[in-house]
Amino acid sequence: MTDRLLVVENLRTTFRTVSGVIPAVGGVSFDLGANETLGIVGESGSGKTVLARTIMGLQPRTNIEVSGSVLLNGQQVVGASERVMREMWATQVAMVFQDPMTSLNPVMRIGRQIDETLRVRLGMDRRAARARAIELLNMVGIPSAEARYRAFPTELSGGMRQRVVIATALACSPKLLIADEPTTGLDVTIQSQILNLLDSLKQQLDMSVILITHDLGVVATRTSRIIVMYAGQIVEMGATRDIFHHHRMRYTRALLDSSPKVANPSHTRLAVIPGRPPNLSTLPPGCHFAPRCAFATEQCHRERPTLQAADSPGHVFACWNPLAASTNEGDSTR
Amino acid sequence: MSDHRTPLLKVRDLTVTFGKGTRSVSAVAGVSFDVYEGETLGLVGESGCGKSTTGKALMKIVAPTSGSIELNGVDITHQRGRALRHARTHMQMIFQDPISSLNPRRRVRSIVAEPLDAWKTASGAERDRIVNDLLNKVGIDPEVYGNRYARQFSGGQCQRISIARSLAMRPQMLICDEVVSALDVSVQAQILNLLEDLKAEYGLTLLFIAHDLAVVKNISDRVAVMYLGKICEIGPSDTLYETPGHPYTQFLLGAALEADPDSVDAGTVLEGEPPSPHDPPSGCRFRTRCPFATERCAAEEPQLREVAVGHQVACHYPFAAA
Repeated sequence: MTDRLLVVENLRTTFRTVSGVIPAVGGVSFDLGANETLGIVGESGSGKTVLARTIMGLQPRTNIEVSGSVLLNGQQVVGASERVMREMWATQVAMVFQDPMTSLNPVMRIGRQIDETLRVRLGMDRRAARARAIELLNMVGIPSAEARYRAFPTELSGGMRQRVVIATALACSPKLLIADEPTTGLDVTIQSQILNLLDSLKQQLDMSVILITHDLGVVATRTSRIIVMYAGQIVEMGATRDIFHHHRMRYTRALLDSSPKVANPSHTRLAVIPGRPPNLSTLPPGCHFAPRCAFATEQCHRERPTLQAADSPGHVFACWNPLAASTNEGDSTR
Repeated sequence: MSDHRTPLLKVRDLTVTFGKGTRSVSAVAGVSFDVYEGETLGLVGESGCGKSTTGKALMKIVAPTSGSIELNGVDITHQRGRALRHARTHMQMIFQDPISSLNPRRRVRSIVAEPLDAWKTASGAERDRIVNDLLNKVGIDPEVYGNRYARQFSGGQCQRISIARSLAMRPQMLICDEVVSALDVSVQAQILNLLEDLKAEYGLTLLFIAHDLAVVKNISDRVAVMYLGKICEIGPSDTLYETPGHPYTQFLLGAALEADPDSVDAGTVLEGEPPSPHDPPSGCRFRTRCPFATERCAAEEPQLREVAVGHQVACHYPFAAA
């Protein structure tokens, strides 16, 4: 994996608002190989969606400052004009958003919405576009695609709408698909269907996927690497197995411990992270997680930790008082 | 095990039908269950299965079409007016969206005191004492936050305030409708633990409605699984999760995503989507998606039958308990 599809370096997205400057993404660096699935997890407000939108070049241009570098297939996204981005959207990178209903135009037949990209981007004529759209609808598993081509979004269920959104995103065979909470709000059985679909499409079309979610269950079996974000920064990054079984950062551990598990007997007491994620406009000087961390030392409150390497290659974490290297899921220092 | 206890809430053949004639939808199509004093009954199912409508019908927020609801041995199905309002002091409901559950322009103290004011149960210093006590119990400092407006709080804090308000009349029972699904995992854990603590302290009985299987298992003593307006399985939570008897329960559990990279995908993804409740399938409602369905499933509707103590399954061919 020498050729990196996406290289993000020291990316910062800062909002200027009436209530102060908000560093929504505060210096994030990572890369992504071809045909790789990367998971980004974090709670609301951790900056994962802003990060995705910045990589897409979708941020508004006023009251916002983006610095750093996003190289997508060798092309710089930061500072690119909308005209340049339009060339890249759909053909290089596409995004699937959380709410399929707001991603689709409610008064436009779904076939037309898929056609649009094909005709504008690839210059297909109406007939070719229609044929390709039906092919895409078949590919994402929509039954009787020919008939559904003329359906309106309101005539479809939530799961079917998300399939249409995926078909639209894939219309011009992007190299990178960013899926932002693609299954939040869908039922568990539909959620598995959509995640399995994304997985098989990734293989079939040889693309890379960034899967953004707050749900650790979504990324556990479907990613090769995971980024854990907190307060706009990467606090831990590594191979999926390392993140789940050999995590070093205290926040990663707390996040894993606080989610209820089907395997545990009922009434298992949940480990709670006290407090709430910090206000980004008034971040503490030290580690952002320190005020909520049971293991914070004086240094944690004073000095911000930087990412340091763990034992396995590619595994990094930012913590002054990390968990022991051999820490496994069962054992705990609590 | 639970048979010796007295049911606090007794629901029999509850149906809720919206609309009339050919356009009618049976959101709840004959549901019976008991909730025993001091227990937590979880109610799970996919969207559209009728679990929220069941909760609302119990509170009489939507009118039950037929069937009966007994609270404390009193039939409240046809109660109206003051009698109904009085019954509701014993049974309170907390909703999914904590922010829209509270009036953004009112102060926390007055929101929590509203039930006391409405029933004139306490006033003056006594009222303040009760409100302070409730806010302290849910982890909101009344000195600091009591006079703030509801709009100044986050989702997790609003849910705490909703819980404090629901406890003001010292109800026996709380109906929690997806109370943690809008919250972040760290806040979700806080609220789940809070509910467990309050349940122990106030001796509450909970009906916990949610779609998240892990959350439901964590908080419930018993769990009922709903599909298309009917209960297809009900039993003690540990037993039901370990040895599900109904194929639907098994698919649902198979689809639940475990936060473990080594968890093997069972490979049993349920195909398709639930059929429309406008026109439910004949016989067993799950048969159109069930790989084990036979002719009998189409012809004859399976009734809930006991497969183990306290564990009932509505299936002609339930999985044998391991």
